[in-house]
Amino acid sequence: MGDAAILVTISVEQVTALLHQEAWFLDHKRWGNWLALYDKDAVYWAPALVGDEGWTDDPDNDVSLMYMDRAGLEARIFRIEGGDSYATDPLPHTAHLVTNVLIHDQTDDLTEVSATWMVHSYTRVRSATVRGGLYDYLLRDTPDGLKIVRKKIYIHDDRIVGPVDIYNI
Amino acid sequence: MLSPREMIDDRPDDNVFRVNRAAFTDAATFDREISEIFDRCWLYIGHASQVPDHGDYIATRLGFHPVFVIRGSDGEVQCFYDACSHRGSKLTRRTSGNARTMTCRYHGWCFNADGDCTLVRGGDEAYRSEDLERMGTNLRPIEQFGEYKGFLFGCLDADAPSLEDFLGGALPFIDLMADQAPDEMEVLRGESRYIMEANWKLQTENSTDGYHVATVHRNFATTVGYRETLATDGGGEMAKTEASRILSLDKIGSGGYDVGNGHMINWADRGNPEAGPSWAQRGRLLQKYPEGKVRWMLERGRTVTVFPNLLLNDVASTCIRVWRPLGVGLTEIETWCIAPKGEAPESRRARIRKYEDFFFPASLAVPDDVRAMEGAHTGSEALNNGWNDLALGYKTLVDGADAAAQELGVVPLNSNPGREVETPFFAFWREWATRLSS
Repeated sequence: MGDAAILVTISVEQVTALLHQEAWFLDHKRWGNWLALYDKDAVYWAPALVGDEGWTDDPDNDVSLMYMDRAGLEARIFRIEGGDSYATDPLPHTAHLVTNVLIHDQTDDLTEVSATWMVHSYTRVRSATVRGGLYDYLLRDTPDGLKIVRKKIYIHDDRIVGPVDIYNI
Repeated sequence: MLSPREMIDDRPDDNVFRVNRAAFTDAATFDREISEIFDRCWLYIGHASQVPDHGDYIATRLGFHPVFVIRGSDGEVQCFYDACSHRGSKLTRRTSGNARTMTCRYHGWCFNADGDCTLVRGGDEAYRSEDLERMGTNLRPIEQFGEYKGFLFGCLDADAPSLEDFLGGALPFIDLMADQAPDEMEVLRGESRYIMEANWKLQTENSTDGYHVATVHRNFATTVGYRETLATDGGGEMAKTEASRILSLDKIGSGGYDVGNGHMINWADRGNPEAGPSWAQRGRLLQKYPEGKVRWMLERGRTVTVFPNLLLNDVASTCIRVWRPLGVGLTEIETWCIAPKGEAPESRRARIRKYEDFFFPASLAVPDDVRAMEGAHTGSEALNNGWNDLALGYKTLVDGADAAAQELGVVPLNSNPGREVETPFFAFWREWATRLSS
């Protein structure tokens, strides 16, 4: 957890701005802008539930809901933009609420961050769904600005109605 | 409303097989399905590897009856109704866990993992012994419980034929998954349940429907194909998918079988079998099994749909899927990844990534299936007397075994050369009509 001795060079305001920017890009379907927030070696990970209280923690031996590298994210955009996915046609109107942003650790150019999310998602065919959970981020300070190196998404739902994809978690 | 028998227009002499769409939407028919199919049929519960130790349990439902399986002190797995023998409170506190003593939260009665009541609170001071004897304090096992090569099944009908008799013609195809591991198979950690707003039988049909693959999953194929062009290191040969096979059936063998008792098989040659996560086991498998069986295991992708609600899918990865009706238009679906114990890390990783690509509600395929089935459910309500005419493939249907079935030494009731056929559905619907008409 946060320690008073950490020399913080990245501020909560900077981090919050990045997370809100990411949410805005997703909610406005600016997929290319969204992807540009991720560094080349980024990992995007939504673990699966184990029993009632646990989560999978070893992506090489456990099944995750999603575990993708940057190429995987790019393929998701390809899928969405192609218009050929039945589940993605039409795309929902989404509203991300991203809040409770905390910085936990900072080493060299890396910053560990947590946040809380809720997404309201609406399509006429399925009506509204609300899903929520927690985020853990690892961010890197680069010459091109703060980039996402790792995003871990805990989805507090395992009787899932409708698709789960990058735009509604 | 039509009777279930009338909903199936089955005239082999005229080459006609039709299903009335009310079969998917009629509430009275749904109630009959629960009492005549789900309360009387062998149903999949889980895998023995999910309850390895004394006290490990999984809670689930058979039809609408809550039940749980638990490994007892003697190492045997039993299945009990999930209700306290006192006043019926549900006993399990989690969907899975370990409890060598299960204590009822309501009044504190205790049970061991063998189903014996070990504590009646108040005991002899509060109860007369003849009263306790009359009520019966031990947990009630379900009527029949069976295991086939690690797959656990339960049946609430004491008079139903044995599990192996029921699985019947599907057994050699179940073996193709179960026997892949020299040291047994295991279900991996990581769960997913999802809800489909459609009738459960649409999932039964979809699981063996080869005709939708090139349409609904065209997007899956082009997406993973695109991703492969981006991968810098490629993730190794095993990370490759069989996208091309989805888009075209040219030059590959494929087919569908009715193997009796409502079980259906659909298969297609793998475009790139060396990319399969089990390919590394080939040498060991060839020492143990005939070449034809190993070819079936590793070189043919298969969907094995066991009546009424189980799919063993061995195509890009290895998946167990169960769909449980919640209502006439509402279904809960649960999936697990099954893998050989002790497989090489690169095989395990490839198997998991391919599983995540296809089988979860966050994947590149299942959400499209769900929308397609929901669309089929909604559309089934459009006409007052609509019929699904399952004519696709009737002209190529043959009795008995084709060449591929002979390679495995099995004789299906009928065979059809081609993945894009609807004739395997006849197996399911004939069993369905028979059970509902008894």
